[in-house]
Formats: sequence, C-alpha cells, structure tokens
Amino acid sequence: MGIFSGKPWKQKLIPKRALFRASMIWETWVQTCYNYERMMGMACAHTFLPVVKYLYPNDKQKQIDLMTREMEFFNVHPEFGSCILGLAISLEEDKAMGENIPNEFITNIKTSLMGPLAGVGDTIWQGVLIPILLALCIDITRSGEGNIWGAVIYAVAMFLITYVFSYVNFMFGYRAGGDAIMDFLEKGIINKLLKGASIMGCMVMGGLIVNYVKVKCGIVIATSGTDFSLQESLFDAILPNILPLGATLGVYGLMQKKWTSIKIILLMVLVGVICGFFNILV
Amino acid sequence: MSIITAIILGIIYWLGEANLPFVGLWTLQRPLVCGFLTGIVLGDPVTGAVVGGTINLVYLGFISAGGSMPADMALAGVLGTAYAITGNLDADTALAIAVPIGLLGTIVWYLRMTIDSVFVHMGDKWVAEGKFNRLYLANVILPQIFSAIICVIPCMLAAKFGAAYIQTFIDFCAGKPLQIFQVIGGLMPALGIAITLQYIFKGEARIFLFLGFIIATVSGLTLIEQGIVGLIMAIIYIQVSDRGPAKVVAAGGASADVEDPDYDPDED
Repeated sequence: MGIFSGKPWKQKLIPKRALFRASMIWETWVQTCYNYERMMGMACAHTFLPVVKYLYPNDKQKQIDLMTREMEFFNVHPEFGSCILGLAISLEEDKAMGENIPNEFITNIKTSLMGPLAGVGDTIWQGVLIPILLALCIDITRSGEGNIWGAVIYAVAMFLITYVFSYVNFMFGYRAGGDAIMDFLEKGIINKLLKGASIMGCMVMGGLIVNYVKVKCGIVIATSGTDFSLQESLFDAILPNILPLGATLGVYGLMQKKWTSIKIILLMVLVGVICGFFNILV
Repeated sequence: MSIITAIILGIIYWLGEANLPFVGLWTLQRPLVCGFLTGIVLGDPVTGAVVGGTINLVYLGFISAGGSMPADMALAGVLGTAYAITGNLDADTALAIAVPIGLLGTIVWYLRMTIDSVFVHMGDKWVAEGKFNRLYLANVILPQIFSAIICVIPCMLAAKFGAAYIQTFIDFCAGKPLQIFQVIGGLMPALGIAITLQYIFKGEARIFLFLGFIIATVSGLTLIEQGIVGLIMAIIYIQVSDRGPAKVVAAGGASADVEDPDYDPDED
C-alpha cells in the first residue's frame, strides 16, 4: 500500500513512542473490562492515557473533556478496529493544534466506522483466519501418535499476527485518516482477500470433514449366508465419507434456517442417543 | 488431583476467559491451547494437546460478536482435558462431555459482562476528577479481580471433584452409554465445520468444499498439504478471474457486498 511509503514520518504533537504505547494498551487491555453498558468504551479512554498529556500539556480541563468524550460507548473488532483509535488520536491531535474540529465529528466518525469494521473484522478474523489456522494446527497435533507442536505453533503464530496486525492497522488509521479507511473497505482488496481465503478455507474444511467427522452406519441386514453391512457394502462402495459430508451439510442447512448452535447440540445428543442405542450409528 | 493443581487449572481458565494478556481472547481461550497447558499441569502435555485439539473442533468457527458468547470454549477445554487425563477417556468421549460444560460456562461470561458496568462508573468518576492513571485500576485491575473470583472458584471445584468421580462415572457408563458418547463426540465436529461454512461457503468458493472433500477421500494428503493446494488454487483462481473479460463487471460490482447485509453483530 502506497499509504505507508507515500508520507514520511513527521511528528506533530505526539512522539511515536507514545503512539506505540497507546496501541499496545488498546490491544492488551481492550476487553479486560468488557461490559454491556459501554462495551469497549473505557478501553478507548485507556488508550488515550499515554498521549493525552502531549495534546494539552498545560490545560487539565481540556484533558478531562477529551477523556470524558472517549469514555463513550464503543464496540468493534479489536484488531480491525484499531485503525479507528489511531484515527481518533490523529483527529484529537489536529484539534489540539488549532484546527476547527467539532467534538461531535470525532464521535460520529468513530461510531460510523465501528459497524463496518466489526462486520468485516469478525468475518475475516473469526470466520476465516482462526478456523483455517486452527484446523491445520489441530491436524498437526493429532498426526501420528500426537504431539504438542500444533498447539505451540498456533499460540505463537496467533500472538504475532494479533499484535503486529493491530499495531500496523493502528498506525494506518493514525496516518491515513478516515477517507483512506473507507477507501480500503470499499475497494475490491478486501473482497479479493476474502474470496481467496474462502477458497482455501473450503478446501481445508472439505479435508476436515473426511478426517474428523465420524458418522458410521451400523445397520447390518442379515441375509441367508452373508450379512449385508450397509456401511461397507453400500456407502463405502458408492463414496466413502458420504455420511460425514451429509451430516455436515445438514447442520449447515439448519444453521442457514437460523437454528442456534445450542439447538443443534441438543439435536445431535438426541440423534446420538437414539441412533447409538439402536446401533444405527456406531 | 491436589487442591493446588485444581487452583492452577482455575487460573488457566481465568486467563483464557477474561481476555487478559497476552491475547487470551484469540489464543489461550482456544481448547487447543488451554488443553495443552492443562496437559502440562497434569503431567501429560501430548494428551492435553490432542484432547484439547479434538474439543476445539466443535469451536472452530465460533464467533463472539457484539458481546455474545455462544459457548465457553475455555472451560470446555480445561475441564474436558482434565477429565480425559485423570479418567483415561478417549478424545471423542472427552469431547461429548466437554460440550455441555461449555454451555454451562457461558453463565460466567454473561455475569462478567453485566457486573463490569460497575467499574465503568468508577472510571467515569476518576476521569472527571482528572485522575487518568486510575484507569488501570478501573479498566484492568478491579474487573480482573472480579473475573478471577468468578472464574477460578467454579473451575477449581469442578476440576477437583469432577476428577474424583469421573472414573466411577465412566465405569458406570461402560458398554452402551459410552458407545453413545462416542457417537455424539464423532458428530460434534460437524457443528464446528458448519459454523465456519456460514462464513466461507459462499458463491464461487462453494465448489472447492467438494474438491477438498474428494481429495481428502481418495488421496493420502495431510491437511497441511491440502491447505497448501487450497492456497495455490485460490491464487490461481483470482489471477484467472482477474484477467478474464469479466474484469470490468467485477470491478464495478465489487463494492456491492463489502458488508454482508445479513450481518448482525448481536447474532449468536
């Protein structure tokens, strides 16, 4: 992205060190006091802690006004939303340097960005990145006699991705501004990324069904002479693993019909008890 | 299980559940990771990682958005793994036992989300007085002391007493019930995969699920190898579709579905 190379670093009021500290506070303490009333509101104010003294060095009242403003309701995806915090800091900085920016403008831009970024962020992060990484690492862990490396690789990789991405995104918001964030959301980059990740994800999920969903039919029809096992003679002959695939797509269909995961778990227990008891499934 | 061990397991659960440093939310909360740590505490890290990873299959694509928490995977991971190791359960049975625990655990999350509002009002007061450094107290220390209390105590008790009875329970279930547990445990990963599919099983990517399925069925590729094939497929696909005559249309229509119109942050 040209945004990073385009503008050389120029300090306004806040030194880079303080910005770094602010972004680390955001990433680390963002959900330590997560609550229904303000969600991440207090974490926002907390993020301003290292920078507020640079904005109004001699005016305590203005510091208090700023911090009070930042305590308001805020909720976003922590890593994708960190650019909003960077943006808010840069707007407050411009304001402190004398530009005429109304308070409502800063609050509004924060509120208007948090919805789209939470949507994109939750989908990419929790719906694509984590499942793919987890699936691969679980497979590593369960391969052979079992080992610890999947767990270790997942934890280390996720830690690095989280902090690096959060910091880079924070600085992107700080330096590039609100228009650039909207631009990024509206241009095709995100979509292309999402499509590519979906293709890879679908491939991995297809493999996961085969390796980890276990549905085996136990029905054996006794005929004269040989027993006819439905699983071995029918399903395995047509397409092995067709039952796990069917079960997964069935659950997918129920979720599309807005079934909650709790309802599906209960259904699975019911199916398991009935089919397990009568040996329909083994 | 000694009381000290049980307390340490409670602390692992707290660190995972309460989003404490460092990224408890995305790492330690996952049963793969907290199960591994549970395994270390109980002296069997490999079994811990394997059982934790198996339990994690159910929670692959679980999304906590807008402050909702469909299941408490950290509690399922810690207790499920602890029971599996102390009771010598196989991974599928441990999975079937862990999932209901995960449902119960959501109480802890909702309790915390509700009570934490109290600390916000303390923060309001201190900010109004200009005592900004006290935000550490309001945003981190006090809510985390509260979280520690509601996380460590129940998990510790469940680990200590559950582990004492799990062997008896499993002996009691020997035969048919245990077989049913395994059937349920074998089904459960379908949920984790189906939830993930809600996000990626869309449009042109759909066909690749079946490709992945067939490749895994007929070939001996590991999942990593299959993931690499998938990555290459994705790159080729995007390169080809970028070059095609449909490019103009794609560029014009690309912005239309930036945001999933069905996306609802309050949805489970």
